Order: sequence, then C-alpha cells, then structure tokens
Amino acid sequence: MSSTTKSWIWFAVLLTLIAGAGIYVGTNRRAEPGKSFSYSVDDYRQVDPALLRYAEADGLRPAIKKLSALAVAPDGKIYVAGENAIEIFPDRTVRPVDGTPVCIAVDDDGTVFAGLRDHIEVVSKDGKSTAWPSPGEKACLTSVAVDDRYVYAADAGSRRVWRYGKAGGAPFEIGAKDEANGVRGFYIPSPFFDLAIGTDGSLWVVNPGYHALENYSPEGRLISSWQNSSFGIQGFSGCCNPANFALMPDGSFVTAEKGLPRVKIHNLDGSLRCVVAAPDQFDNGVTGLDVAADRQGRVYVLDPARGVVRIFEEKK
Amino acid sequence: MKTTKRRDFIKNLARGAVLAGIAGVCGMLGLRKNKYQCSGRCGTCKPANGGVCPLDSAAGSGFVWQLDPEKCTQCGRCATHCVLAPSAVKCFHSYSICGYCDLCGGYLRPDAKERNTGAENQLCPTAAIRRKFIEDPYYQYTIDEELCIGCGKCVRGCSTFGNGSLYLQVKHNLCVNCNECAIARACPSDAFRRVPASEPYLLKSNQEKRIS
Repeated sequence: MSSTTKSWIWFAVLLTLIAGAGIYVGTNRRAEPGKSFSYSVDDYRQVDPALLRYAEADGLRPAIKKLSALAVAPDGKIYVAGENAIEIFPDRTVRPVDGTPVCIAVDDDGTVFAGLRDHIEVVSKDGKSTAWPSPGEKACLTSVAVDDRYVYAADAGSRRVWRYGKAGGAPFEIGAKDEANGVRGFYIPSPFFDLAIGTDGSLWVVNPGYHALENYSPEGRLISSWQNSSFGIQGFSGCCNPANFALMPDGSFVTAEKGLPRVKIHNLDGSLRCVVAAPDQFDNGVTGLDVAADRQGRVYVLDPARGVVRIFEEKK
Repeated sequence: MKTTKRRDFIKNLARGAVLAGIAGVCGMLGLRKNKYQCSGRCGTCKPANGGVCPLDSAAGSGFVWQLDPEKCTQCGRCATHCVLAPSAVKCFHSYSICGYCDLCGGYLRPDAKERNTGAENQLCPTAAIRRKFIEDPYYQYTIDEELCIGCGKCVRGCSTFGNGSLYLQVKHNLCVNCNECAIARACPSDAFRRVPASEPYLLKSNQEKRIS
C-alpha cells in the first residue's frame, strides 16, 4: 500500500472521528419520561359509539359576540345572550342589555330575566330594562329560571337560591344548611351553579361539589336528590360538574360538563342514558358550555369557543 | 511530479481536520434553532418594566428562567431534563383556585377504587401530594416539595378534571439559572422564558382573580 493511500485512510478515519464526536455532542441523549411519569387522558375523551345517540344538525351563528348564555322560550324561540345584547332566533332580533348576562330565562310573554353578576335585569319585549336590587354583597348569579309564579336565581357567591315574585321584591332563601331536614347546603368550588324548573313546578338545582342534582319544593323543602361521581362517562368528576343542565321534555336531564367537555343525558335516577356530544366534538379548553332543550327533544349547546349554538337531534 | 513528504502531508491533514472541526461546530451552532426569539409578549423591554430585553442580558444579570403555566403541556420533561436531580421545577398549588374536592383529579388515579390516601389510589408517582380532611366534603391538598419531581401528572389531572389549581413553576431557591436551560431546550411547547428576577414566578393570578 502506498504512503499516499495510507495517508488518505488516516484522513478518512480522522474525519469520521470528528463527525462522530460532533454528532455525539449535538445529540440529546436524555431518556424520555418513563411510563410512571406519563399520564394520558385520551381514554376519557373516547366515547363508545353505541352511547352516542345524537347527531349534530345545522347550528345557529349569532351576530352578537362573546356568547354567554342560552335559553329556549316557551314559544320555541331561541334566546342567546352575549356582549351587551340578547339575540332571538329565528327572528334574529336583538335586545340591548346594559352588560353581558351570565344567564337568562324567558317568560311566556317574551320577557327576559337576565342574570348579571350581582343582580337580575328584566328586559321586556319592547326592550325596556329594569334592574332588580342585588340579593347581597356576595352575589354571583349563575342561573335563572322562571315559571308562572316565581323567578329563581342561583347565587354561587352566597351559595343560595333566591326565589322572587314576578315583580321582584325581597327574595325568599332556599338552600341554607338544615341537617334536620336533610338539606346539606350547596357546595360550590367554582362559580358553576345551575337550576331549572320541572314540569311539576318543583326546582332542580345542581349541588356541584357533590356532583348531585337536588329537587326542592318552591318553599325550599328537599324532595329528592341523586348524585353520580365518577371519572368515567357514567358520572361527573372534578370541581363543579355538571356545570350546566336543562330538563328534557320527559323529565330527564341533559348536562354539560367543564374540564372534560361533554354533553350527556341522565335518567331521572341519575343513571346515564346516552351521550349527546363527546369531548372530541369540542375545541380543546372550551369553557362556558350552556345547554337547553326544546319540546321536540332537540338539544341546544352554546359553544362560546366557536361562537355558535350547536343543535343535536336524536338519531332515527 | 512534485512529491510531498509524509510529515508535511500529516501536518496539512491535521490543519484540514481542525478547520473541518471548527466549520462543523460553527455549522451545528448555526443550524440549532434559536428558541428565544422575541415574541413581543413579555413586555420587559417597555420602560415601565425596566426597559431591558431579557434576550440581550447575560444569565444572572437580573433575569431567571420560568415556565408559563398557560403554555405547559405537562410532557414530563421538566422531571427528566433539568441538570438538577430532582428537578428544580415543582408543582405549585393555588388554594384560591382549588375546589377542595373529595374526588380530586390531581390526587387520585382515574381508576382509583377508593377515595383515600392509599398508595394504589394516588396519581403522583412519588406521593408528593398530601390530602387532609377539613370538613365534609372538603379536603385540602398540599405539595411536599422535597418529594415533588416536577413530572406534572397531577397538573394534567387537575386541569382535565378540575379547576387547574395545580401547575408547575421553577423554584428559584433550587434553580441554578443555567445560561441555556436544558428543560427549555427540550420543552415541546416553548413554555420556558426569561423573566425579571424581581418577578420570578408566573402565577395564575388572573384566573385567581376571576374565580375568587
């Protein structure tokens, strides 16, 4: 072998060593976190297709911004609240509100009871607004409901439900701890506290810390309750779930959850009936899902992240 | 034909190898992604915030590493990539955001059979979260920083199922403030950035205000 060839071989070896050292230094050799350190919640985002008994129909896209609340009126019209306004479908008329309602309820005559943070604003059909006095310094209203006699407001700040007459006035208190009569009080870790009025005039209220729904008479007597805590699809988990709910025409409950966003229907005893919308049907990190149902059993879901009202119909 | 002496050839070879090495190292440094480009969001270049860009300052001259809890994806690399062992990244607990829940997604494994302090029910691989009964149905959760390795499993559980009161932060009594943070290099969501040493933590203060 000639000396020139040997020199070239030396050159190639040296170059290979330098390249190897460069790759060694430049490569990250740290191990990825092992099994013990990884935690996937993907399994909890998956839903058995057999449970998904609703299909999405064409939704509503309101003109108003920062959607915050949803209600279906007795006449079937859809009321959507947002920044300083309430938009009504299908008319697409807009009623101005001084502030952004957190929750709304609609009376038979089209009067809207809008819950702002610390008080109720009554917005009549012709757009006139009247503010009711705040129920207290701690008030943080999160839900309102109206029937032919009363207006109920859920107050997460003072952990009470306030029952008003249609004309307002001093409210009657529901939900104070009364262990002798089985009322354990409302446990509200974060401001998600919903209520709805049943067809019999009784009041259904979420007790979110217990993952429970409690049924009260208008006088505040506890009639019944159910609770269903679980990380799985069959119950509710974490803080303040169900975050929102509405009653279906047959008395069952359509619920919306925060954290892991999903919309489900639970039977009267709290058992899971079916899933309306799975977590994968929502954007990551969506909050503020509100639900409502109409007399035909259609489920309306307010999706603030997409700025739409999504409509789900039972599969035929 | 001009002949080259072996000694000269080896000398030239060595020079060439050194030049190639220098070129290789320069190329490697040049190709490396510069993660710390100005995003225009930190605002420290504004006169009201001191007016000095953290990208222009050397390590230790008033800026420290911190991770943005809003960007963190709980990938687990804070536990494995820090030059310290255990990591200088620890779990923080914001009590004003916490719901004090019995069914805590940050403390309990999703498949936990019981809601108690049994090791088999705990999500944390090092049992660094303490659960204490307060009154029905409230439980208080505290972090034992000696045990916490910054893996972020509890953070994921809390943000998925709960209020997101648990989140990761670089502890500055532990962090050695490396010029180029090894975790920042490996962070898949660019959650690490330099912050003024006068405000070394990125707390969830906005959320705290919103909830409380």
